[in-house]
Amino acid sequence: MVLEREILPYFDWLFRGEDLLGALPQYLIIAAALGFLALVVGYLISAVRHGLLRGGDIVYRTVSSGFRELLETSSRRTWALARLAMKEAWRRRVIVALVVFVILLSFANWFLTSDNQDPVKLYVSFLLTAVTYLVLGIALLLSTFSLPGDFKTKTIYTVVTKPVRAGEIILGRIIGFTLVGTILLLVMAVCSYVFVSRSLNHTHQVETNSLSYERDPAGELLGYRGQTGLDAYHRHDIELETDKNGFALSNHGHYHEIDAQGDKQIVRKPHDLLRARVPRYGKLSFTDRQGDAKERGISVGSEWTYRSFIDGNTQATAIWVFDNIDASLEAEEGRGLPIGLTVRVFRTHKGIIGKPITGAIQVRNPETNLKSDLIPFAALDAKIEETTIDRVLVDTEDQQRDLFKDFVSTNGQLEIRVLCMERGQYFGFAQPDCYLRLPDSSPLWNYVKVYTSIWVQMVIVTSIGVTSSALLSGPVSMLFTVSFILLGFSRDFFLGIAVGSDFARYGVDKVFGGGPVEALVRIVTRKNVIAPLDPGFGTSVVQSIDLVLQKLMLSVAQVLPDFSAFSTVNFAALGFDVPAGRVSQDLTVCLGYVLGSVVVGYFLLRTREVAK
Amino acid sequence: MSEDVIVQTRALSKVYRDFWGRQKVRALKALDLEVRRGEVLGLLGPNGSGKTTTIKLILGLLFPTAGEALVFGKRATDVSKNERIGYLPEESYLYRFLNAEETLDFYARLFDMPPATRQERVDSLIKQVGLDQARKRQLQEYSKGMTRRIGLAQALINNPDLILLDEPTSGLDPIGTREMKDMILRLKDEGKTVVMCSHLLADVQDVCDRIAILHQGELKELGRVDTLLTVADVTQIRARGLSADCQNEIRDVISRHQGELLDMANPTTTLEELFLSIVRDSEARPGRRAKVEQPADPSAAD
Ligand SMILES: Nc1ncnc2c1ncn2[C@@H]1O[C@H](COP(=O)(O)OP(=O)(O)OP(=O)(O)O)[C@@H](O)[C@H]1O
Ligand SMILES: [Mg+2]
Repeated sequence: MVLEREILPYFDWLFRGEDLLGALPQYLIIAAALGFLALVVGYLISAVRHGLLRGGDIVYRTVSSGFRELLETSSRRTWALARLAMKEAWRRRVIVALVVFVILLSFANWFLTSDNQDPVKLYVSFLLTAVTYLVLGIALLLSTFSLPGDFKTKTIYTVVTKPVRAGEIILGRIIGFTLVGTILLLVMAVCSYVFVSRSLNHTHQVETNSLSYERDPAGELLGYRGQTGLDAYHRHDIELETDKNGFALSNHGHYHEIDAQGDKQIVRKPHDLLRARVPRYGKLSFTDRQGDAKERGISVGSEWTYRSFIDGNTQATAIWVFDNIDASLEAEEGRGLPIGLTVRVFRTHKGIIGKPITGAIQVRNPETNLKSDLIPFAALDAKIEETTIDRVLVDTEDQQRDLFKDFVSTNGQLEIRVLCMERGQYFGFAQPDCYLRLPDSSPLWNYVKVYTSIWVQMVIVTSIGVTSSALLSGPVSMLFTVSFILLGFSRDFFLGIAVGSDFARYGVDKVFGGGPVEALVRIVTRKNVIAPLDPGFGTSVVQSIDLVLQKLMLSVAQVLPDFSAFSTVNFAALGFDVPAGRVSQDLTVCLGYVLGSVVVGYFLLRTREVAK
Repeated sequence: MSEDVIVQTRALSKVYRDFWGRQKVRALKALDLEVRRGEVLGLLGPNGSGKTTTIKLILGLLFPTAGEALVFGKRATDVSKNERIGYLPEESYLYRFLNAEETLDFYARLFDMPPATRQERVDSLIKQVGLDQARKRQLQEYSKGMTRRIGLAQALINNPDLILLDEPTSGLDPIGTREMKDMILRLKDEGKTVVMCSHLLADVQDVCDRIAILHQGELKELGRVDTLLTVADVTQIRARGLSADCQNEIRDVISRHQGELLDMANPTTTLEELFLSIVRDSEARPGRRAKVEQPADPSAAD
């Protein structure tokens, strides 16, 4: 699970924020700045049209009546407009979207093969991504062509000559199209849930001749071991009790129950296909190959700096410190601490393909420096390894120790250290790669949360679409909204260009090559992005233009929705629980966009000559 | 501003500009107009003379280039004035995918009407405009006349005090036209104020108390219909039982007061003649108030 940004608790996020301001003060500042800008521009335009005094009078009246009218918003009128929007959407055959979706589903099996390591991931991420784009597309078309259509057919004349407040026209549409989108989304959610469960549903035959007896040293029968046949591109090891009931052990991300029926073993439907793991994260730090503390590991030359690496068979270690550790974290009493670990393996020599690289886990008490013996594990690249650190461990002096009594410090801290044991091979980690496994939450509920995040994206697109269409014509408004979305998807890069060398303060990666004009010059003159431009007049001109453009970009970036951060498809695909804080933050951001859109849309509509 | 003035325009002007702010058309030039409570005012003028522009300015659909329009003492851009206004546009700009009931229900909701009154109002209006048979049919299936009727019903949904009708009889058959005129007269009887514009002179003549004649954006004539159509220096005599001799000696008959004098009054011209003469005069001498002989008009706004 990749988490590039930590998810703060809701109120911290809202009021305090991480390095920058909290979300609410930030929102208010941006709103105030936008308001001020709009006021200045509005005054300039009306002063040019009507003269200094009358222009001022018009601006004053527009603003003052604006705030009054926004407060006068009536639910009945808004609902009437929302219903109209829904009927319009229906008439414009949104139902086609569902047809497209169903066609997509019926052919999905052709190119989604289940011989994949992780078929759930493939299916879920494909479907959710398809749903996202489909729904965003519909939201875009509905929202951007609606108001311009009304202007074109002049039906807007009969609406604005009623006591409708302009904000209601915007809000009504946002609500109406959101409801339509919600219905579509619900249908798609149900369809895709059924589709995923049905496509991945399978069972196995038990290979009877593979069954072998399992006896204790005294020769008493303990049970049976064996394996299943190859179905759906995989097989399971099985363990049976003496009564021949048992389990097909976890493989391909699921397990089966096995019931004995007479002579036969019946393998039941797969369990845990869809999961919602609930991780608890710690703080990650590293030591280098000499064992000195470091903030990050080494780079293996990957452009994506999310993970850093430790080299094998040296003292390089990835160290996670977890707080508030006690025995209540045990899944079963006395069994130990359940953890999850994902390792990115970087090989400098090939070894045997498919053969895992050996690593080791060690726990340490950060207070007493007591270390456990190395616990070896086999690391497969990018696979989520779920293990349990045993309750009873052997320390480096071969003494038996209790995990919670001896390795947890008095303030509840525990260190989990991971090493790579093979020379010339590297393990890559980021903070969320090692976590404590809390009990799983409901996958269905998780699915709902993931769909909520798609819903949030849809509402934001709808709001922006409706608002921009209050000023622009349909196609132009669509283009505008699309660029907004695309910029939103690459917001970090955009912001990176805008802030230049100040990137760290904004929490984005450094972007090389300067501002937009400088980058253009580099492209044309085929200069690389690192080498400084030759100093001179031309360079100064280019860079001063860029300075202005970058300031502009920075302002635009402030109102861009971070679409890549909204997507929770990966949570569902990899089987992680979407944190509740994430959902509430997204919903709040969504509300912020809707409110902002209504206010902006109100003034756009109000200052527009309807009958022009 | 007195309570009785429903609409007032002061030097209302409109210049249509293109995207770059260049002047395209001066559609309305310094219009001063007052509409009083309970009267039916007709805006008359050839195509493109600025009638629709005036109505749109009164409604706030357009912003004036100069001057201002006040409705119920409020600015035309104030939405709250719309509570008491009904508007029938040139063509019925309605949602074609709704049926008659849904259309009226939608507009009634826009007046924040509670469900019970809404139902009642929608029902009575559908009956009133004679669309009872077609109430469940989508507007896109409607004929022009039917569309006009539902447009009118839409304009009356809030029982407005001021009704603005843009060419109310266009597209209606003679019977429909008659009904529309009767409706306007009925509204007048109920004490409503009506502003209608039309180039159909007969309509205006039949229902309007006062008319304003516009030509190329200028107000050319404003007055009561009966006074405007009175020709002051011509006397019309209607007589019966005059012999052929008498007819030959018509001057003698008049001077000596012989014969049975049935009627002696100022004749009226038709509105058509008045209209044509104003347009002709205006084209001959642009920029001036038309010079048509008439007595001083006490009810004119200026
Ligand atoms: N949106 C517009 N853009 C530019 N010019 C316009 C616009 N609307 C009207 N005009 C011009 O303004 C003038 C007055 O138009 P208006 O529609 O008010 O006339 P009208 O008296 O209603 O005519 P008709 O009897 O044909 O309906 C015309 O010259 C017209 O071309
Ligand atoms: Mg017109």
